[in-house]
Amino acid sequence: MRVVDPVLQELRESLLRMGSLAEAILEKALTAVWKRDAVAAGEVKGDDLEIDRLDVAIDEAVLRILATQAPVADDLRSVIAAKMIATDLERVGDLARNIAKGAVRLAEHPEVAIPPRLRSLGDEVQRVLHRALDSFADGDAVVAEAVLEQDDQVDADQDVVIRAAIEEITGRPDLVSQGVDFILIAKNLERVADHATNIAEDVILATQARNVKHAAKLES
Amino acid sequence: MPSGEPRQAGGSERYLTKISARDLNVFYGEKQALYDVNLDILRNTVTALIGPSGCGKSTFIRCVNRMNDVVVGCRVEGKITLDGDDVYGEEIDVVQLRARIGMVFQKPNPFPKSVYENVAYGPRIHGLASSRAELDEIVMSSLERAGLLAEVKDRLGDSGTSLSGGQQQRLCIARAIAVNPEVILMDEPCSALDPIATAKIEELIETLRRNYTIAIVTHSMQQAARISQRTAFFHLGRVVEVGETAQIFTDPHEPRTRDYVTGRFG
Repeated sequence: MRVVDPVLQELRESLLRMGSLAEAILEKALTAVWKRDAVAAGEVKGDDLEIDRLDVAIDEAVLRILATQAPVADDLRSVIAAKMIATDLERVGDLARNIAKGAVRLAEHPEVAIPPRLRSLGDEVQRVLHRALDSFADGDAVVAEAVLEQDDQVDADQDVVIRAAIEEITGRPDLVSQGVDFILIAKNLERVADHATNIAEDVILATQARNVKHAAKLES
Repeated sequence: MPSGEPRQAGGSERYLTKISARDLNVFYGEKQALYDVNLDILRNTVTALIGPSGCGKSTFIRCVNRMNDVVVGCRVEGKITLDGDDVYGEEIDVVQLRARIGMVFQKPNPFPKSVYENVAYGPRIHGLASSRAELDEIVMSSLERAGLLAEVKDRLGDSGTSLSGGQQQRLCIARAIAVNPEVILMDEPCSALDPIATAKIEELIETLRRNYTIAIVTHSMQQAARISQRTAFFHLGRVVEVGETAQIFTDPHEPRTRDYVTGRFG
């Protein structure tokens, strides 16, 4: 075993733990929205702190590895990808916190039925994030490519939710607060999917040395 | 891919070929040291030759300036050209060839003479100076280009062997460039030096490549990555992969290259 192997393994395990926490925090924030559970929503902030701690620890580990191990080739790509994935997961934690804040506000206002399209968007984004993390865990570029293809659908579904919410609150000032929160939650979910997409792109870079970021824009 | 055709990745078209090896096979008696080596060394670039001990890197550079001629039982087949001239052609004057292709060795090997005489020796035997003043000019400019003049200008009469290891190595580089070579071959020039002396040699290599073509054998992956523009990976007497250094160290195409640079074997 090379000296660098256990160091890389430790980095990978930290990242997998961070990914699990990010999934859990998103699940908790969305459940708080669906169930009008302000208590659970309040816990999200504390859970996010653990993600932030791991983000800092991964930053330090990456610096240490670059300084002491001078990784190259696939080792280098995996270290760089780890740093970028950690940044994306930290942002997923922040977005889950935003969703949780929306859950608290919704719980404080008269109950309005959750738009089914918003629920399905939440489920879809959770699946996208899960697949992106699976692609990292398995080093599977094929799964990562599939994640990239889902992003457009998430964007379209987000637009549908926002349009429906706007229609709902037009002429109904009593529903504006809830409607705006549905819009904000949809927007935060769409951003989570963007970060899942980034993670998938990083997996492709790490496993296949292909940088597919902004590929469509750069090719056009 | 045939074993004698290493993958030549990216960018070579931007440079002109200075040295070209084609179908090079080298034998030490019965033992074959190089197999079907095809490799271009490009003008005004630093080419790092990497690979495990005994893989043929040093054998290769010793063929380029025919240092292997003095090795009993060494047989060279194939072709090496310098600017298109056959290095092993009958009309080649080996002494002149070695003036065009200088060499710096692993261990600094100054002559047991003064600093001045170490540098003046080459220009004198090649008749490059017609007067003492001209010789002085060559010696001073060579020491300057080797980044050593400031440190030895008051010690030109001292023995070359009295200098520190790093200074001795730069003295050897000054000695090599004093005869105005086109190519400098370096065989692990920093392996006997401390990190500060190594950094000075590396800075010097970067400066020298503006005027010279450099091929350097190194066992330090970090050094190869820092100082070279192109890297060739040798293994078991064959060139496995050649490419731009950044590509070799971020995305090696051959599994054996990847395994070597990441320390999975070697």
